[in-house]
Amino acid sequence: MNLPILSLITFLPLAGAVLLIFIHRDRKNLLRFLSLGIAIITFIFSLTLYFNFNDQIPDPQFVEKADWLGYGINYHIGIDGISLFLILLTTFLMPIIILSSWTYIQKRVKEYLIFMLILQTGIIGVFVALNLFLFYVFWEAMLIPMYFLIGVWGGPRRIYATLKYVLFTMFGSLLMLVAIFFLYSMYYKATGVYSFNLFDYYNLILNPNIQIWLFLAFALSFAIKIPLFPFHTWLPDAHVEAPTGASVILAAVLLKMGAYGFLRFALPLFPDAVMKFLPYLAALSLIGIIYGGLMALIQKDAKSLVAYSSISHMGLIMLAIFALNTEAMEGAIYQMLNHGLSTGALFLIVGILYERSHTRMINDYGGVSKQMPVFSAFFLICMLSSVGLPGLNGFIGEILCIFGIFKANKLLAILGISTVILAAGYLLWMFQRIMQGPIKNEKILSFKDINKREIGYLVPIVIMMFWMGIYPKPFLSKMESSVTHLLNRVNKREIYFTKSQKDKDFLLEIEPKTTEEKNEEKEDKFR
Amino acid sequence: MNSFFALSPLLIIVFASLLVLLLDVFLKKENKNYLAYISLIFLVICGFICIKFWDKNYSYFNGNLILDNLSLFFIFILALATGFVILLSMKYISFQDVNYGEFYALLLLALSGVAIMLSSSDLLIIFLGLEVLSICSYALAGLKRTDEKSSEAAIKYFLLGSFATAFLVYGLALLYGSSHSTNISSIINFFVTESDLSIMALIGLGLVIIGFGFKIAVVPFHMWTPDVYQGAPTPITAFFSVVPKAVGFIVFLRIFTPYWKNALNTQAIFWILWVICVLTMVVGNLVALRQTNLKRILAYSSIAHAGYLLIAILARDNSSLVFYLTVYLFMNIGAFAAVIALSRKGKEYLELEDYAGIGFKYPWIGVTFSIFLLSLAGFPPTGGFLAKFYVFSTAVRQDLLPLVIIGVLASLISVFYYLRIIVYMYMKEPAREIEIAIENPALFLVLFFCLYGVLQLGLYPRNILVLINQAISSFF
Repeated sequence: MNLPILSLITFLPLAGAVLLIFIHRDRKNLLRFLSLGIAIITFIFSLTLYFNFNDQIPDPQFVEKADWLGYGINYHIGIDGISLFLILLTTFLMPIIILSSWTYIQKRVKEYLIFMLILQTGIIGVFVALNLFLFYVFWEAMLIPMYFLIGVWGGPRRIYATLKYVLFTMFGSLLMLVAIFFLYSMYYKATGVYSFNLFDYYNLILNPNIQIWLFLAFALSFAIKIPLFPFHTWLPDAHVEAPTGASVILAAVLLKMGAYGFLRFALPLFPDAVMKFLPYLAALSLIGIIYGGLMALIQKDAKSLVAYSSISHMGLIMLAIFALNTEAMEGAIYQMLNHGLSTGALFLIVGILYERSHTRMINDYGGVSKQMPVFSAFFLICMLSSVGLPGLNGFIGEILCIFGIFKANKLLAILGISTVILAAGYLLWMFQRIMQGPIKNEKILSFKDINKREIGYLVPIVIMMFWMGIYPKPFLSKMESSVTHLLNRVNKREIYFTKSQKDKDFLLEIEPKTTEEKNEEKEDKFR
Repeated sequence: MNSFFALSPLLIIVFASLLVLLLDVFLKKENKNYLAYISLIFLVICGFICIKFWDKNYSYFNGNLILDNLSLFFIFILALATGFVILLSMKYISFQDVNYGEFYALLLLALSGVAIMLSSSDLLIIFLGLEVLSICSYALAGLKRTDEKSSEAAIKYFLLGSFATAFLVYGLALLYGSSHSTNISSIINFFVTESDLSIMALIGLGLVIIGFGFKIAVVPFHMWTPDVYQGAPTPITAFFSVVPKAVGFIVFLRIFTPYWKNALNTQAIFWILWVICVLTMVVGNLVALRQTNLKRILAYSSIAHAGYLLIAILARDNSSLVFYLTVYLFMNIGAFAAVIALSRKGKEYLELEDYAGIGFKYPWIGVTFSIFLLSLAGFPPTGGFLAKFYVFSTAVRQDLLPLVIIGVLASLISVFYYLRIIVYMYMKEPAREIEIAIENPALFLVLFFCLYGVLQLGLYPRNILVLINQAISSFF
């Protein structure tokens, strides 16, 4: 297949956005159908990635490489088993988001759709980039459409929320940029070759003292994006103020970028620093789990409840990643997809309610299920999926995560499981207050049940929830070899390094081509 | 090669300027746009000559005037900038009641001063060019004669500028006294070979740095910038923000490249520049946060950009400096073009509140202005990102890590005020009605040229980089 399929998927939405510019702003339905069509075509293309993906190869596939600016800055993209599913998640959700915004966005439809499509290009670009420069370009460029989406179509405090979001994210990423420069210059000094290639950097053996700083810069950037506990304050603001579509994409995909960054960059590039900071990172994740859950319990605003539940769930994902074993890692990636689906769905559901009543306060609702029985069923499924009911997707992910964490450290697993308990608490309580009981508000009597369009975009999500909950093998099998490869990279390097640590005065060197080491896994990282 | 040709760009510009002055007497008021066309034609010829003379290395006056590739590149670039400014002012002049003829003549004359400065490596001749540029600038700042702010700008610029010039001359005298030469390379040679430098020579060098620091508006020599930028006619502000800065940095480049190369006692000078650089970035960006006038915001932003450019000087990386200046030209003139677009007869809209809601009312102005602002803030995929990227990455390679960290944090601050303008344009409801004269083809031409420049330099600057490398290597 000579078609540059990955570039096509990445840039098709951008081309669509350019196309939309030339359509008159009053032809709203044409704009909507066109962008929906583009999103669906992108999704279909991305499915071919899944079917042509060879799960035996751990290294990136569909690689495209072209010279771009010189000095090591190349156009170099490819996907492995980790990024594959995140791309699929993005392309899967985008038509849903466009459908969900069909009537929600009435003002400035054209600009909204253009920014959505540009955002999609940015997100996919982040997941496919294998050149650090390219990665950074997409990582930053993606902020611009998100900035506009929150700032123009958001709620009353949107300007505060969007500036906070941009400044927080940029703070982290600029320091990461400095770290990237540092890696770049070290690589140049060590080899005399300019390179931003991620795989070249994988071969660098860095002095642990330098690694610490570089790791901190990378980790800060990703921790803000996830967000890990003390860096999370932008998230509730951004979520509450953002329009539904932007909330969905933010929760479902943008938060995953932080976790993806840890998997792709921070862990394999700086294994020694990882070992050093592992306890702290695990502690922060754990605090995030409990703090997010407790905060979610006391929220009065349905949207900020879901936002805090995101912090809690992402905490579990990060805890699983920091367990550094295959089960936990696969569970974490699987759980990223689950979280994308279920939290995305919950935001859609809050959006559906908001469109009818224009309030997000939980107390304004009550007894909605009498008026909206079909909607009630969907809400229940999505809510249970987020709680982690067996048979639905959340269960598989959480159980894998908890297994993996348990293998690494029992205490953390026991504390980490509180995410499930807390989730059951706040989500069921929210469901009860909104959907059940007597009808408190007369407005609710005028609610219409969800229409075909709304069913249309909820059904695919629910199908996926059941599928991923009952038969996860097609997903797990594709990611397995990439995950083991990643873990090898982290662990093998550590072994290599302890061997060579005697000779202390080297700054860095290029790893000699060692023979393939066996898949040794060190499980007890936390002890 | 010693050839009279070396003078041709200079002569053409001066000739154009005199021709415009002469024709101004004979043309009726409604026909004065022809003056702009004539100036543009001569600028095109000048640009064409620059292309033709590439790699020729013509020189004249015993090598005191050399057209090496570096100077050709910048004469071309700054002639382009002047062309943009002329295009921007065609409507503006009639709207804002500025005087016609001398406007273009002074601009061209200022450009001739620039050409002298760019093509010389003798500090005394550079000084001559600087004076031509400066005196034209003082007059240009005050061309809105009925406007108090404009006159204030002119006076302020003139007084402070004369002081800076005095410093520069005194510094030159001291340098000549100690090194017995005004030629840059022999002065630097003196600095490098002399083991025991006299105080006189060091003070001389310091005073020269102050003199040029004033021109490129680095902190603490920046006080004139906001007031002059605010008071001067807006196209002239665009000119001020780009041209003197670019020239000043090229002179710095000519001074410091040989100096860094074999300097043993770089320490003092290095740290002075380091401190100036940090101050410039921090003060420029912090003060910009509190401004509500667009021209003042852009003034402080241009101060901050001088700081990033100084990083390139400190990192001893000429090509990233030249690239940054090139990108800076497009994005800054573009931003000013968008500001000029928001005006009508007798009225300019310069307060932030005026910008509320214009993003949707005037989509093209909104989009292009946003892109220029994002580029100034350093977002990919614009040229501004790549420019900062090159500067910062080479600085890291030169072990200037603390400077780079301060630089990126300063540019984080800058993100806030650039985005605040976009917030007003797109996210606030208009507080008052504004009405602008939309039919201004020359201005839109500039907007789109600059947009093209910013995006081309951000996405695929290969060809320009090749040219820049040729320019840099010719000068070594």
